[in-house]
Amino acid sequence: MLSFVLSRLLRAFITVLLVMTFAFCVLRLSGDPAQILLGPDAPQEAIDAFRERWGLNDPILVQYWAYLRSLLSLDFGMSMRDKSPALQLVLERIPTTLQLTVPALILKIGIGIPAGVYAALHRESVADRGVIMLAVLGFTMPSFVIGLLLVLIFSVTLGWLPSGGQDGWIHGILPTLTMSIGGVGILARFSRSAMIEVLGQPYIRAASAKGVSWRDVVWKHALPNASVPIVTIVGFMIGSLIAGAVVVETIFAWPGIGRLLVVSVANRDLAVVQCLLLVIAGTMVLANLAVDILYGWLDPRLSRKSGVH
Amino acid sequence: MLKMNRRQALGLLGAASGSLILPRVAIGQSARPSITVAVQKITINGTLDVWYEQSNVGERVFFPNLWEGLILRDWMGNQGPVPGLATEWKRLDDKTVELTLRRGVKFHNGDEMTADDVVFSFSPERMFADTQPDGGKTIYEDDYKPKTDKELPASIPGVARRIWPALRGVEAVDQYTVRFHNASPDVTLEGRLFAFGSQITSRRAWNEAKSYTEWARRPVTTGPYKVVEYKPDISLVLEAHDEYWGGRPPLQQIRFIEVPEVSSRINGLLSGEYDFACDLPPDQVGAVEKASGFEVQGSPILNHRISTFNKYHPVLENPLVRRAMTHAIDRQAIVEALWAGKTNIPKGLQFEFYGDMFVNGWDVPAYDPKLAQSMLKEAGYKGDPIPFRVLNNYYTNQVPNAQIMVEMWKQIGLNVEIEMKENWAQIHDASAPRGVRDWSAGGAFNDPVATIVNQFGPNGEVQQKKDWTNEEANRMAEIIQKSTDRAARKKAFARMLEICEREDPAYQIIHQNAVFTGVKSSLKWKAAPAFAMDFRKENWFL
Repeated sequence: MLSFVLSRLLRAFITVLLVMTFAFCVLRLSGDPAQILLGPDAPQEAIDAFRERWGLNDPILVQYWAYLRSLLSLDFGMSMRDKSPALQLVLERIPTTLQLTVPALILKIGIGIPAGVYAALHRESVADRGVIMLAVLGFTMPSFVIGLLLVLIFSVTLGWLPSGGQDGWIHGILPTLTMSIGGVGILARFSRSAMIEVLGQPYIRAASAKGVSWRDVVWKHALPNASVPIVTIVGFMIGSLIAGAVVVETIFAWPGIGRLLVVSVANRDLAVVQCLLLVIAGTMVLANLAVDILYGWLDPRLSRKSGVH
Repeated sequence: MLKMNRRQALGLLGAASGSLILPRVAIGQSARPSITVAVQKITINGTLDVWYEQSNVGERVFFPNLWEGLILRDWMGNQGPVPGLATEWKRLDDKTVELTLRRGVKFHNGDEMTADDVVFSFSPERMFADTQPDGGKTIYEDDYKPKTDKELPASIPGVARRIWPALRGVEAVDQYTVRFHNASPDVTLEGRLFAFGSQITSRRAWNEAKSYTEWARRPVTTGPYKVVEYKPDISLVLEAHDEYWGGRPPLQQIRFIEVPEVSSRINGLLSGEYDFACDLPPDQVGAVEKASGFEVQGSPILNHRISTFNKYHPVLENPLVRRAMTHAIDRQAIVEALWAGKTNIPKGLQFEFYGDMFVNGWDVPAYDPKLAQSMLKEAGYKGDPIPFRVLNNYYTNQVPNAQIMVEMWKQIGLNVEIEMKENWAQIHDASAPRGVRDWSAGGAFNDPVATIVNQFGPNGEVQQKKDWTNEEANRMAEIIQKSTDRAARKKAFARMLEICEREDPAYQIIHQNAVFTGVKSSLKWKAAPAFAMDFRKENWFL
């Protein structure tokens, strides 16, 4: 098991390094932060001084090496625009985003999986058709359309909920709903497919033939076996907890990580964008690592295939 | 019939008596409302410094609520000068103005404003760094080297010298009298005093701030509202400054909240979340006006949408091509199609509030495709591409406007290619061929110096960025800037218009800009013909 975890950790490290390197190069090739941050009125010498101060005149390999060395000492750099530590800016915004993404994730899991399982257990019924229809509708509609529709109904027409901003929990209801609808649809669809596949397996028929109650067949045999693809999807959803709200935060004027990312990219605030991408990649990789480990626990055959005995 | 027992009756009587003996001030204070204003962007650079945020969005949050100058702009009137932190001013000679400061003006930190604060507000430390007053020569970017005490942003001295090119300094004659000394004669000194940037800040607050950023996010000024909280890119909260010299402000708090999406701003307004929704595109005006209890305030403002030419581009080098481009645009069609006729086509790069400097009879180039075609033929244009750098709707309707213009140019045989850019640095990037770009031109004060000279003269951005220059136009700019002979100045201005808009086009006027703000009808608030939003007691009727 230890070598399994270590191999996954190594892969995770390489993934994060690749993301970091890619972001580092692309950001430097897509625009001069000195020009952007100092503005069109800035004199050339001021621009030169800025570039010198932030090390932008050095060859890209020298910059990259300096960046890696500072990362080793947990120095994520300073925001060129804000003049404060990039990590601090990012950490300040993470809780704001999590206020939306965590409840949204709970809703996705809490509604999507039971709905999919129920549809699978009542295959070809009206309920099954209804779940499938709503699921397809949910995950095919872009979040900006869902968001605006919800605002139109619950804010403008009914006046029940605020349309944007972040002045209390009530402001989080519509963005949370907006983010969860697509995920509910995806999880319902995957859960249904996985359950239908498992319910058709010989061991389910065998368990039923042996007189195991249907409830136990579902809970003890079908659900655990159907959970591997569901866990994969949930893993992706956990991985996108930090970065998954860019569009929704823009629509609802929610000042989270997504808004910071948009503003920082537009301003080529290198340290902040790099720090953000590192945090986002780290979350995604950790979520995937957790899913890999969970696979081994849910289905020991997968660990054995990976060389773990 | 209303039933009331003895206890309730006594309670009501007590409440009524209490209200009679309650000081009127206390009643007024409890009645003071707060408002929320949804804007697309609060500031560009994440500060609240008038010299660092010289933008339309900056004007909205700064004036007249936060920053004030010695002379104020009459925002709700003719946009001309009115007494502000100075009560009167007089000319000592053609290079010197003396101003008497208003007494008893309190900064947000409780200090009284004195001549020392005015001297500081126009000092090298605050504005100019080590730039020197110049006599009209172009200050190229390469010529300038800033000293940055407290990390004064490098762009500020250049911007400051654009408004005050020849200011030698400000002298404190006594505690309430200051003199502005110019290096060269200038009839527009009073105008420059109410331009965007020439506002007053507290020297003590600057000295006490640990960094420029700390100061610039909470500048201490004299305006009717003070900063209580500023979260860049998120929100700005201003609170009433009850010691304001102009009387007690009518609002307890003004909260500007950044809502990038226009549909979200409109929905927020209609749902009651916001009291104001700014930057409505013209095609959304009807949607708000149809809703019961809401109205749209707005009108053309003192700002013209223009596109500028780079005369060093191989194709645009020939003025005939640029002239053809100006004659190919059907401006009225653009105003009708994109603005529903809610704005105007101005009479060239000038504003009526210039007064006697306004050149009557001048107009934009006529829409004449045949003339444009003949000019192209005469120029020997062979269909080479002309790049047109465009930002993604930085200006209202910018992208559709660019698409329409490209089609109009195509009609006369021009091959103009849109290049979408992310930011201004990319717009000005000189490493690739520059052709046409979008811009706007505003009237910072009531003289052509504020517009055509500042933007296209020897120290204007166009020449600093090496987009365009013209020797005769520069001579005219010098006359407009320095001559004290009004007739000579007007003649020079008319000639400069001819050169810049006809003979050797530096730019072409498209239309006058307009601003539309959705607002609750019950507020009875009036919009100024500007980006600025006036929340002083004279414009608040509730």
